[in-house]
Amino acid sequence: MMDELLVMTVIAGRRAAFRAVEVQAVIETEVIHPVPRAPDFIAGLTALRSQSLTVIDCRRSLGLTGDTATDSRAAVVEVGGHPYALLVDAVEDVVEARSLPRPVPGGFGEAWERVAVGMVETDGEPALLVDIAKMVAGPDQAMRGLAA
Amino acid sequence: MDDLLADFVAETREMLEAIEGEIVAWESDPADKARLDGIFRFVHTVKGNCGFFDFPRLEKLSHAAESALAEVRAGRRTPDVRLVNAVLAIIDRIAQMADAIEAGQDMPGNGDEYLIAALEPDANDAGDSAAMHGEDIDKGKLSGQSATPRSIRLPVELLDRVMSGISDMVLARNDLARRLRAAGAEPSIDGPFERLTGILTDVREAVTRMRMQRIEHLYNALPRLVRDLSAELGKQVMVDLEGGDVELDREMIEMIRDPITHIIRNAIDHGIEAPAARIAAGKREIGLLSFAARQSGNKITITITDDGHGLDLGKLAAKAVAANIVSQREAEEMSRKEVQQLIFEPGLSTADAVTSVSGRGVGMDVVRANLEKIGGTIRVSSKAGEGTLFILEIPLTLSIVAGLTVGANGQRFAIPRSYVEEIAHGAATSIEYSTVGDSDLVTFRGKRIPCLSLANVLGMSDGESVRGKTLVLIRLGSGDLFAMAVDRIFDHEDLVVKPLAPAVMATGVYAGTTLLDDGSPILMLDMPTIAQQNGLVSEVRLRPASVPDEKHEVAEKIRPVMLFVGIDGRRRAIGMDLVRRIDIAPLDAVDIEGTRAQIVIDGEILPLVGIEGGELPDTKIKLLRLSDGSCELAYAVREVSDAAGIESDIVPSGDDDLIEGVTLIGGQPVGIIDGMTLFSRHGRTLHSQTPLVCRLPAADGWSRAMLEPLVKSAGYRIAASTDEWADVTILMDDDEQPASHDGGQIIRLHGDAEAPVSTSERIYRYDRDALLGALRSARGGNA
Repeated sequence: MMDELLVMTVIAGRRAAFRAVEVQAVIETEVIHPVPRAPDFIAGLTALRSQSLTVIDCRRSLGLTGDTATDSRAAVVEVGGHPYALLVDAVEDVVEARSLPRPVPGGFGEAWERVAVGMVETDGEPALLVDIAKMVAGPDQAMRGLAA
Repeated sequence: MDDLLADFVAETREMLEAIEGEIVAWESDPADKARLDGIFRFVHTVKGNCGFFDFPRLEKLSHAAESALAEVRAGRRTPDVRLVNAVLAIIDRIAQMADAIEAGQDMPGNGDEYLIAALEPDANDAGDSAAMHGEDIDKGKLSGQSATPRSIRLPVELLDRVMSGISDMVLARNDLARRLRAAGAEPSIDGPFERLTGILTDVREAVTRMRMQRIEHLYNALPRLVRDLSAELGKQVMVDLEGGDVELDREMIEMIRDPITHIIRNAIDHGIEAPAARIAAGKREIGLLSFAARQSGNKITITITDDGHGLDLGKLAAKAVAANIVSQREAEEMSRKEVQQLIFEPGLSTADAVTSVSGRGVGMDVVRANLEKIGGTIRVSSKAGEGTLFILEIPLTLSIVAGLTVGANGQRFAIPRSYVEEIAHGAATSIEYSTVGDSDLVTFRGKRIPCLSLANVLGMSDGESVRGKTLVLIRLGSGDLFAMAVDRIFDHEDLVVKPLAPAVMATGVYAGTTLLDDGSPILMLDMPTIAQQNGLVSEVRLRPASVPDEKHEVAEKIRPVMLFVGIDGRRRAIGMDLVRRIDIAPLDAVDIEGTRAQIVIDGEILPLVGIEGGELPDTKIKLLRLSDGSCELAYAVREVSDAAGIESDIVPSGDDDLIEGVTLIGGQPVGIIDGMTLFSRHGRTLHSQTPLVCRLPAADGWSRAMLEPLVKSAGYRIAASTDEWADVTILMDDDEQPASHDGGQIIRLHGDAEAPVSTSERIYRYDRDALLGALRSARGGNA
C-alpha cells in the first residue's frame, strides 16, 4: 500500500518503521519491573492503565549489544493476544509511506534481516519496516528457525 | 416454573433448533445414517430427561420414536416416507409440548396414540392423517400465546469478556484514585468519583453473579446417579443434600462434576456395605451418602460423607508398599492421617475385584489432579467401621486467585495461597538449618525439608544463604513439602491473574501476571514447576525424612498457633485451626456501640473483638477472621507475627477467662486465646436457619426507628402482617392484647419516664439491656 502510515522510530541508531495500524499507542514507560530468568531482550513488565505489558528491548531482540539509549518511549503492540511495549531509542514521527516495502540487494545485515519486512521510502530518508511479531519473538526464535 | 424445568425446556429447544436441518435432510434422504443418528439422539435425550419429570405423554412419544428409529439403526427396518412423516410429527408434538410446559399450560390436545400408531410398519393412512389433523388444531390454539422469554442463554466467552472488562475497569479506577490522591483533594471530582466507585462495585458484583449458579444444579443429578449405581451394585443408599443455595462459578461447577461423580462411585462401590453386612455391623440397612456445601471466605467447602466401613488403612498401606509408592519402613512410620492420604497416589485401589463401576486404580489421583488444576484441594478422613469423609475445597471463581505476595531481592512476587502450608520466621528457635553438600535443609516440626532461596531460584543472586530469612512452607498437590526462603511477606491478596507472553512463559517459573492495587505488575510463581526444576519432585517420591530422635514424639503433640500482637500491644496466640484468613479493612467498616462492636467485611456483618485496651489505627485495621465452623468472628490485631507451635506447658492465668493460659514461645510469654470462650461469648451464627418472628407495636416512628433495628439485631424477623404468627409480640403499655393472639410470648413496654424501671412484666422503653434480655430469653424459650 502506498500511503500507509508509519511510526518512525530509532532502534540502535537506525531508522526503523512500524505500521501505524499495528501500533496501539506510544507510551512513556515509567517503571519497568524486571522478569528474573527471562531472556535478556525482555526488559520486564510495565503497567499501562490496567494492563500489564511485556517490555521488549528492540536492540537486544536484534541480538545487538549496548544499551538502548532510550527516552523511555515505547510502541504498544499486540501479538498473539498478548500486549507488548517495544522499547526503542526514540520515537520520531508518524509519516506516510511513499513506496511498498521492498528488499534491498544484499540484504539488511545479519541483525536486521530477521525482523525486516523490507525497505520503505518516505518523504525523508528510507527506513526499514519491522515485522513486530518477529521483533517480539526475540533472537532465540531465529536460532530455532535456522536449526529447523 | 423451577430452574430444572426451565433447563429442560431450554435444552429441548436448543436440540430442536440444532436438528431442524437434520430433519429436512433426513426427509429427503431417509437412508442417511448420520442424520438418523442425530434424530435418534434427540428423542433419546428427551426420553431420558423426561424421567426426571412427570411427563408420561412426552416420555411415551419419545420412547415410541426411539424404538422405531432403533429398529432402523439396527437395519431391521428400512425408513420409508410414512415412517419419516410419523417421526417428524412426533418431533413437532414434542416441540409443542415443550412450549406448553414453558407457558405452564396444559399439554396440547390428544391423539398421541395416533402418532404412535403411525410409527408401526403396518399403520394405515387413516391414523396418519388423523394425527396430522390433531396437530393442526393444536398449532392454531397455541400460536397466539407464545410466552415472552424470561431468561436468555449467552455464550460463556461473552460473559468472560464482560468479566475481564470489569476487572480492567476496577484496575483503571484504582489507577485514577491514585492519581486523584496525588493531585490533592478536589471536592468537585471526589463526589462523582465516589459515585463511579459505587456503581462499579455494584456492576462487578452483578457480573460475578451472572457467572454464578447454585450448587443445586450439581445436586439435582445426584439422587438419580446414586439410585442407578446402588441398584447396579445391589446396595441401598439414601442421599442427603445440604447447602444447595451456595453459589459457585458456572464453569467451576462443570469442573467439579466429574471428580464428585467419581467419589460417589467409590463411596457406593467400596465404602457402603451390602445391606446384610450393614445389619450385621449394627447399622441401618440403608446407607447414607451426604453432601454439604458451605462458603467460607472466597472458598467453597464441599464435604461428601458416607457411613460405610471406612478406609482399610492396613490394606491401603500394604497396597502402597506393593505398588512401590512407599517403603515398608515408611509405611510403618506413617501416621493414620498420612496413610489415609495415600489413596490419592496414582496406581492405588483398595478394591479386591475390579468392578464395572470403579476399582480400576485410576481414580483418586485423577480426581485430585483435576481439582488442583482449578486451584482446589481434597483431603480424606476416615474412621474404620464408621465411614469416610472427603473434604473438597475449591476457589469461588476461576479467574481470581488468592495469593500471598512476597519479596525477594527488592522485587515482589505472588504465590498462589493454595500451596502455602505455613509461614515461619527463620529466626524462630524452632527452626534448625543444615547444609548438606550444596543443598539447604531446614528442620521444622521434626521434619527435614529441602529449602530453596527464591532469589537463587530466580537467578537474582547466587548462593544466597537461606538462614534467618522468612520461610514459606509450600505443599505441592503431590504432598511434597519444601520451604522457600524470601526476604519478607507482604500481604494476602485476591489477584486477577492474566496470562503471560510466551517468551516469559518459557522460563517455566511463572504462571501468570497480575496488577497490584497500586498498579504495579507482579509475577505469579509456578510452584510445581519450580519444585520440579530443582529436583524436588522425584519419580519415586521421596517423603521428607523424619528426624530420628525422641523429639518426634513431642512433635506429634505440638499445637499449631498463630502469633500476633493485639491492639493492646500484648503478644497473643490463637489456635491455627480457628484462623480462616487475615484481612485488612478500612476503619469506617467498624461500628462500635457501647460494648458491642461489629465490622462489615465482604458484605457480611461480623462481631468484632479484641479492640479493647488500645487505640485503633487511623485508617485501616488488620483482622484475623476466625471461624469455628458455623460462626465467624473478626479479631482486631496490631500485627500478625508468625506461626508457631506450642511446645511447653500452658500455665493457666486466672484473671481473664478469654485467655486460656500463658505459654513460652521463643522464650517469651504469650497469652493463648481461649477459642471456646471467645466463640461462646461473641460468636453468632451467620445464617440462623429460621429467625424467630417478632411483632412490633403499631407502626409509629419510634417503633420503626428505634425498636425495629434493636429487635433485628437480636436475631428476629419483623412480622410482615398483623395476622402472621409471631413468636414474640411487643406491646406498648396502652395496647390491648390483640384478639387474634394465639400464642407466643408478649413483651410489654411502658414509657413512664417518671419511673424508668423495668420489671418482669413491664420494661421501660429505653431500657435497652432489659429489652434485649427479654428478647433473648424469649428466644431461649422457643429454641
